[in-house]
Amino acid sequence: MNILLIEDEISLAETTLKYLEKEGYHCEWAKNLEEASEKAWLYTYDCLIVDITLPDGSGLDIIKKLKERKSRSGIIIVSARNAVQDRISGLEIGADDYIIKPFDLSELNARVKAVIRRRNFDAQNQISFDKIVINPYDRQVTVSGEPLTLTKKEFDLLLYFISNPNRLITKESIAEHLWGDNMDMADSYDFIYSHLKNLRKKITGKGGDDYIKTIYGIGYKFVKPS
Amino acid sequence: MKLLAITNRLYLISIGAVILISSLAAFFILRSTINNEFNRKLVAEKEHLLNEFKANPKLSEGNFLNVGDRITITPFRSDSVIRDLMLDTAYFEPYEDEVLPFRVLIFTERINGTNYKITISKSMVPNMDLISGVGQIMIGMGGLIILILILINKVILRKLWAPFEYLLDHLKTFDITSPRRIRQGEYTFDSKVDEFKQLNQVLNDMIKQSIKDYNNLKEFTENTSHEIQTPLAIIRNKAESLLQENLSKEQLEDIGKIYEAAGRLSRLKTGLSLISRIDNNQYIKKEPINLKEVIENKLEDFEELIAIKNLRLKTTYYGEPELELNSELTSILITNLINNAIKHNIKDGLINIVLKDVELLIENTGTPPVIPTEQMFDRFQKTGDTSESTGLGLSLVKKIVEHFNLKVKYIYEKDLHKLYLTFEHLSKKTSIK
Repeated sequence: MNILLIEDEISLAETTLKYLEKEGYHCEWAKNLEEASEKAWLYTYDCLIVDITLPDGSGLDIIKKLKERKSRSGIIIVSARNAVQDRISGLEIGADDYIIKPFDLSELNARVKAVIRRRNFDAQNQISFDKIVINPYDRQVTVSGEPLTLTKKEFDLLLYFISNPNRLITKESIAEHLWGDNMDMADSYDFIYSHLKNLRKKITGKGGDDYIKTIYGIGYKFVKPS
Repeated sequence: MKLLAITNRLYLISIGAVILISSLAAFFILRSTINNEFNRKLVAEKEHLLNEFKANPKLSEGNFLNVGDRITITPFRSDSVIRDLMLDTAYFEPYEDEVLPFRVLIFTERINGTNYKITISKSMVPNMDLISGVGQIMIGMGGLIILILILINKVILRKLWAPFEYLLDHLKTFDITSPRRIRQGEYTFDSKVDEFKQLNQVLNDMIKQSIKDYNNLKEFTENTSHEIQTPLAIIRNKAESLLQENLSKEQLEDIGKIYEAAGRLSRLKTGLSLISRIDNNQYIKKEPINLKEVIENKLEDFEELIAIKNLRLKTTYYGEPELELNSELTSILITNLINNAIKHNIKDGLINIVLKDVELLIENTGTPPVIPTEQMFDRFQKTGDTSESTGLGLSLVKKIVEHFNLKVKYIYEKDLHKLYLTFEHLSKKTSIK
């Protein structure tokens, strides 16, 4: 899987690249519009992560060019929180998703995975983790082959965890993933806790293990118990 | 009060006073002059008469031609002497058929051994007429002066003050968020008056400066929020990466705190830049918004949270007001209000939402307010237990409410927090179910 990250801020790019490489992607980095145009022209990527505000122009230009070439690459826009118009025009010209700065790497990862999944358009494409198998398209989950009935939020939560296995996912990150920035943070923690409790109960009820590990009030990790 | 009215009133008062004083002065001066002149004339007539009389003693026996002054000459038995006694009296004037004022000079004179008492009576009517004539002229002149002044004033105000009115009109319609009239050069100022020229210059400089300041401020806010974004994203992502390392519990907790603080700062920044964007009038786009729909949508978002706190939610819709608002801000407003009602609620509490055509009431149970209710909408006012919140919620509400000219009222009574949002003047279409 090839990913092109277009981001002008070196520190931010570094962390993101490191993270995505750990996830097993092959990553390249362009720090401005010129480099990005060149790379996008020469190579084909599965997914492009495009920061809209670049020192030498708007990231939207890249998206336009790619779409003119009928590229099938997935595109995720990175934009400032108040740049609503950029986001809308980005989605209009064919971006697949957007993420708001500052974002969590686990959130970016989940979105990259979702975009690539959608791009490959493989209905049989299933994600599995130990005894759990998720089919993201019809939102079906099985544990040890037995179907599991989940609420919408529980499903989203499980998919988010399974997209970021073995990683510490912070409470904030989960809250933002599930509710956006609508929700007051403090309240949503109770909320996450109760959803997690139900999710645990449901998974272990179908013979799964307790995969969700709490990390010192910071967040949670989805791990195979050793 | 209009400038014209004020100057007119001042003219009227001052000229009225001047006319009154000068009329009075003229009256007294005139009267005393005429009096003196009159008396001298009487005395002169006396000398004249005496000369005639001495030359022609038979005069007293003859008939008088009683036209003009009345003169009587009667022999006087006494030896006493009357020296020029002057007195005012009134006689019946048969020709005029009325009683008229006269001045009488009485004196005695010994002529050819006989004592005579002589009176000369002179009518004072012409003098009175003179004085009243002068008075009339004064009053007429005063009235004329006032009238002319008012007319001149009107012309001055219309012609000379026209540039001023123009400036004023221009200032009234001036809107810093869209200073198009100045930019398009529609604004032309033409006056010969130095003061107005200066005023125009000063105003122009001020307006230019405020447009510049406004744009600078806007730019600064935008830049700051953009520039803060990246370092914040770096802090957050680095912290998030560090959290994945195999570190001790203490280290993880510390990094967790850094991560959390960065998140809070980012939310705070979002709130503050939202407030400054409202202040800068950057939410101009308005559209009809069905408040009931917005509330129902938002309640759906909060469904789970309400369930978790085991709150009882009651909604009553008496109307379905459609208001001209900005959809993004309305969404933020309603979210904040509902969020507030949930956050400051108690377990197993109550939320009651009542929507009418002109008013929205959100009431909820909760602990009594710890800060005075009038400070409720100030920035960074928060109750102790919610350290995670930015403390901007209600001040955002206030900003949005002010932006749309709505009214918000908060009261705490009978253990209920009540928040009223009134939008009487905005409600245009209603349908009562």
